[in-house]
Amino acid sequence: MHFSIIEKVILAGLTLASLGSFGYEVFRRVAIVNKGTGSFPFDRIPERLFRVFREVFLHEKVIRERPFPGLMHALVFWGFLVFGLVTIDHFAIGFYKPIMSESAHHAYSYIVIPFAILVIFGIVSLAYRRFITRPKALGGMSPTSGLVAVFIVVLMGTYIYGETGLSPLVWKINWWVHSVIILAFMYLIPRSKHLHLVLGPFNIFFRSFSQPDHTPVHIDLEGDEDELDAMLNDLTKLTKNQALDIFSCVECGRCTDVCPANRGGGILDPKHHFIMDLRQPLLDGKDVSVLDQINIEAGWECTTCQACTEVCPVGNHVEKSDEIRRLEVLVEGRVPQEYQKLFTNLQETGNTEGASSSPFADSFPVFTADKEYVLWLGCFARHGLDPNFNKSVENFTKILDVAGVTYGVLAEEQCSGDPANRLGDKLTYTMLREHNLEQLSETKKVVTLCPHCALNLGKEYSQYDQINYTVEHHTQVIGRLIDEGKIKVKMGESGKVTYHDPCNLSRMLDIVDEPRTAIKAASSDFQEMDESGRNTLCCGAGGALWWKKETKGRTHLVRAEQVIESGADTVVTGCNFCFGMMKQGLGPMTPEGREEVIVKDVADIVAENLVYDL
Amino acid sequence: MKIAVLVKQVPSSESMLPLSSDQTWIDEGQVSFVMNPPDSFAIEEALLLREKIGEGEVVIVSMGPERVKKTIKEGLAKGADRGIHLEEEGKIETDPLSNSKSFSSVLKEENFDLILTGLQSDDTGMGQTGVLLGELLGMSTATLAMETEVQGDSIRVKRELESGWFQWVKLPLPASISIQSGLNTPRYPSLKGIMGAKRKEIKCVSSAEHRSGAQTQFMEKVFVPQTSKQTEVIEGDADTAVARIIEILKSDIKVL
Ligand code: HEM
Ligand code: SF4
Ligand code: SF4
Repeated sequence: MHFSIIEKVILAGLTLASLGSFGYEVFRRVAIVNKGTGSFPFDRIPERLFRVFREVFLHEKVIRERPFPGLMHALVFWGFLVFGLVTIDHFAIGFYKPIMSESAHHAYSYIVIPFAILVIFGIVSLAYRRFITRPKALGGMSPTSGLVAVFIVVLMGTYIYGETGLSPLVWKINWWVHSVIILAFMYLIPRSKHLHLVLGPFNIFFRSFSQPDHTPVHIDLEGDEDELDAMLNDLTKLTKNQALDIFSCVECGRCTDVCPANRGGGILDPKHHFIMDLRQPLLDGKDVSVLDQINIEAGWECTTCQACTEVCPVGNHVEKSDEIRRLEVLVEGRVPQEYQKLFTNLQETGNTEGASSSPFADSFPVFTADKEYVLWLGCFARHGLDPNFNKSVENFTKILDVAGVTYGVLAEEQCSGDPANRLGDKLTYTMLREHNLEQLSETKKVVTLCPHCALNLGKEYSQYDQINYTVEHHTQVIGRLIDEGKIKVKMGESGKVTYHDPCNLSRMLDIVDEPRTAIKAASSDFQEMDESGRNTLCCGAGGALWWKKETKGRTHLVRAEQVIESGADTVVTGCNFCFGMMKQGLGPMTPEGREEVIVKDVADIVAENLVYDL
Repeated sequence: MKIAVLVKQVPSSESMLPLSSDQTWIDEGQVSFVMNPPDSFAIEEALLLREKIGEGEVVIVSMGPERVKKTIKEGLAKGADRGIHLEEEGKIETDPLSNSKSFSSVLKEENFDLILTGLQSDDTGMGQTGVLLGELLGMSTATLAMETEVQGDSIRVKRELESGWFQWVKLPLPASISIQSGLNTPRYPSLKGIMGAKRKEIKCVSSAEHRSGAQTQFMEKVFVPQTSKQTEVIEGDADTAVARIIEILKSDIKVL
């Protein structure tokens, strides 16, 4: 096929304009991202590449959460991959000559044409969903989405039409239509959510392996005031990774769909409050100092459960309550009254309740160097936030006793700092952390029943200081004792049993199997809840919401409702806060005439079914 | 506008309160002390007034042993400009009049336009110091302010009365006003405030300098209320039981 010089000039002009504009818009955003604090991670590259393979090429997360639309999108995506070569060849024809031989082109079309049909099917389904079904999560009308859908259909159509042996004139018109649409698409991509197809793979590559992932706040009250000013100033800035998130978001609304605060009727909408609300300010200000734009009320509602982060298909760390809360606390001094009380308690007494002693803690042996584990109780157990939980702690020590594992509590244990940390009071957190690290300086092994303590003593403290001990959650210890045959457990009579995964355990510490090992050893009738493992739903107590006085929503009841609907007789959990929250929620939610679901800790169900005569 | 806020340090509400061996006060050794919660509303009101007027000085004034410096610093960290510490090792909880005399001797030459106090202290709840001090300094006084509004050289105050009634009064400045809890949302000391507070002045006045005359009120005895249970089992048939219950309600509990 011959292209005249005029045609080539026009083609070159259009291509330059389209690519130039594409490049400019992408560059503009990358330049802003580059102003972010911190740096992009380049460690663990094989793992990162493998993750890109699973999440980009296999579309693992895109499909898992929304199977049908996810699959439809996969068709579009895979189709585009196949089309890569076709597109290069397409422009090569216009500028010079085809890079594929006639026969290769023909042979390849046997692959491409079926894909083109699948792409049409996929994009029409996506458009149907967006414009006819209109799920709330996708947001309002989006003309660009409509335009892109039409573009893609016409692209596929013109490709197939072009393969049907047209007369030269019709072929050429068809060719030009195809070209112009590709170039128009290029123009559109960086200006819309469709930028995800460029940034998504990079964003998934750079995503942190650990969540929650917030820049630690180092506070030195004795230090230089200018340094402090600089540090406070940085608190409004996004990191590079966070800035990339904002431009990668595809506005799918999965994060909001899974958000417990949103599901419970709160105002928090992570898609908007933590991501989209920051996009325009980034572009307008050409800078990353935008964290103060986050809706404050929404920020206080977050349970910090990380469901949003877990589910995001383009690899965003969605949750930013830490960022807005630390600004409110450290810079503005605007703190809800109940939390001020909590902070004062923590500062004055080292525990959340302001208690001057703990008779419960005194009932355990004190840790000495000859003992294997420090049994870390946490404020919840020490100060009876739910006195029923005392029994669970005793059940755990019973298991340790039977297995011959030695342990003791620390007399000077203070709050791990989880509530202060999550509420943004990094100063109080610093005080508690420094105190506890001193107490633990000679310790090798810590075990605790509180996942919040486990997370803080381990992963969170080590962001600040070197720690010389290991932290285990009691379900890990119990699971191991069972596996190693150190304790024997018989099938018990707990009826239908289900397990509620605590967010801190499953998503943040990746402890999913061990509690199940323990429960299944003690129950033959175990059933998973619909939302389980890393996709669990928060009980509503996380992010120090346990201490929040008024909540508009009913975040704390949604999970309890699910437990009742699951038909279980017993719900087992592995977190003191979940335990307390379940107990509070299940009572009022239980319908007339039904037995209230019994709440147990993993330690309870195991201890109740221990076989002693080994 | 020069505003003084009288602040007291009290045992935290969660603290255990063991009695001292002579039973005239508590054993302070085991108690954790915090800023008297109602006073934080007075500080907030002072800071808001200063912000609204756009100039002025807020001074935190407190009395007590060395430990009250912490409470003064908390006020400074919230944004007050300086502090005055009236040192006093003795028992100050019992005697609002002598305390007010001490305050007036120290605050006299400061010529404050406004003195704010919390509604009362959470330990003994006397609620008098602010009013007494106002009188001693020849200021106008009002209690239980729900809203304040400075107008030139006077201040309008919405006072809370009984059973949901309110009253607006206009006082000429200088004035001493006690602030009802809950009228504003006290702020939390920001990190910058905490750092800045270190450089702010706290003037110390020794007990010998501010005390004049002897105490006028003393604590006789403090004790934990005794609870006792009195159970009466009423026997006999329904009529006798009802008759007895009515008698109890009438003569013992006196609700009929
Ligand atoms: C050539 C590559 C790609 C193309 C052509 C493409 C195209 C599209 C289109 C047309 C939409 C519909 C937007 C709307 O309805 O408003 C969409 C949505 C979406 N894309 Fe892509 N995309 C590509 C790559 C990716 C990648 C790499 C990912 C992530 C791994 C991804 C994740 C998504 C998600 C999650 C949605 C939202 C739809 C839903 O809720 O399921 N896309 N994409
Ligand atoms: S962390 Fe949990 S509560 Fe917070 S925005 Fe994400 S999903 Fe919602
Ligand atoms: S942040 Fe992620 S999950 Fe949320 S709307 Fe954007 S792409 Fe979807």
